[in-house]
Amino acid sequence: MTTVHLIGVGMTRFGKHPDRDAADLGAEALLEAIADSGIDPRAIEGAYCGHVFQGMVTGQRILAQVGMAGLPLSNVENACSSGATAIREASLAIRAGEHDVVAAIGTEHLTTRFTGALTPDPSDPEAAVGATMPAVYAMRARRYMEEFGMTREQLALVAVKNRRHAAANPLAHFRKEITVEEVLESRPIADPLNVFDCSPVTDGAAAAILVSDRMLKRLGNGRAVRLAASSLFTGSVDTEPTSMTFEPLTRKTAEAAYERAGIGPEDVGFAEVHDCFTIAEVLRVEGLGLFGQGEYPAAVERGEADIGGRLPINPSGGLLGKGHPLGGTGVAQVVELVRQLRGEAGERQIEGARVGLAHCRGGKAVGIEGAACTVQVLVR
Amino acid sequence: MTVTDQTSAPISFRPREFEVLADGTGRLLGSRCRGCGAPFFPVRAACSGCLGTDLETIRFSTTGTLYTFSVVRQSTPAFPVPYVLGYVDLPEGVRIMSQISGCEPDDVKIGMDLELAVEEFGTSPEGAPLLGYRFRPMAGRGDR
Repeated sequence: MTTVHLIGVGMTRFGKHPDRDAADLGAEALLEAIADSGIDPRAIEGAYCGHVFQGMVTGQRILAQVGMAGLPLSNVENACSSGATAIREASLAIRAGEHDVVAAIGTEHLTTRFTGALTPDPSDPEAAVGATMPAVYAMRARRYMEEFGMTREQLALVAVKNRRHAAANPLAHFRKEITVEEVLESRPIADPLNVFDCSPVTDGAAAAILVSDRMLKRLGNGRAVRLAASSLFTGSVDTEPTSMTFEPLTRKTAEAAYERAGIGPEDVGFAEVHDCFTIAEVLRVEGLGLFGQGEYPAAVERGEADIGGRLPINPSGGLLGKGHPLGGTGVAQVVELVRQLRGEAGERQIEGARVGLAHCRGGKAVGIEGAACTVQVLVR
Repeated sequence: MTVTDQTSAPISFRPREFEVLADGTGRLLGSRCRGCGAPFFPVRAACSGCLGTDLETIRFSTTGTLYTFSVVRQSTPAFPVPYVLGYVDLPEGVRIMSQISGCEPDDVKIGMDLELAVEEFGTSPEGAPLLGYRFRPMAGRGDR
């Protein structure tokens, strides 16, 4: 079976785009990815588009914008893992031998689709009693604080770190650094989380061009990055209440990716993880096996997760700093990995980066640990 | 509120998950696998433990303990803030998300004993009160 390579990436500025829409943003990202890859757009054989709230056939609108209608395209929805799922579907189409060149796009014009706190689908029993995503993570934060002694200040440091990274990212939603005090004094959303503990409502899109081995040989693209693994799982239905301070779903998805890539967590040089909330980053990196359980808050305090630290986490600024256009997020993580691995990350470049990991986890459905979890491993 | 003064039959806000009995008390509904005994909330079509499809619908106990909680200060228009949201562990081995009522947010503690209460959750399109569930501190034991 062929290996899959990423030969081009593109991404819009993340933030508020009142004069744009999801298709327009997606088209900008796709055109940049095509130009970055150097490939003739006529060589692209198929496309996948991840989005959550953009309505019917958003991917087709993107292709129409760039003159590429006529390809097989599937729109994919997996909540906050939609873009990452588009990457995985594109890689599967190549691995299956169906296509040699596939585009993956993720987009969201979130500012026109909702305000305030994201909630599960209204049909869900938990939505019916007032569940919001910030509240779900706030409850996990409280439990984590109780079990592991994490302080409120340690939790705030995750936001401080990611905003600092975002300040070095010209495409990030937030470009200004913040302090622990500012996090603690920001507007309460769901105790103990304040608004600076939460990822913002962001518009944006990202795209990537994936190719097979034989196509890479034909193209001779020296900047290609290998997609060594792209795993996806849905959470299990619990038969008994389990810990909410650990993520078996993240662990399972990561282990499948490590096995496919032939690596272990110790080989990962840096990671983009799904920090939809400060506590989420803590739970993710421990679930991924990158840090021991209960150990991440102190590691952040020591600077280990900084750019320049032992294991940089969310060098792009993450969802907290770069922003979180739901469908765009998973593809944007891969854009960051590619740019880091090529040494094109500018001010936020991680020295000697060779293996990068991206993790997404989205959605809430009653009785399952998490709806959709993805892990991608990229190797230079 | 109590519902003993209802003149018409009480209407559950989510009849598949929550039943209001004639005496005005409420019961959460779920499934138990007749094969392996695993309990589920809400009602399931098959068991995730053994994949058996022989499931019975059960009424859960009306008491539990608080696993964790948050005071929600931003929500959708349907839910005026603030309110306390928690996860309640029931003796049957299921964890239920519920609002916590009947006490000040500052008095809510992980591990506290709670009991199910029937409370109004909006109104039906015809204007009749819809009855849902919240958990409250157990009488005299809320500050454990």
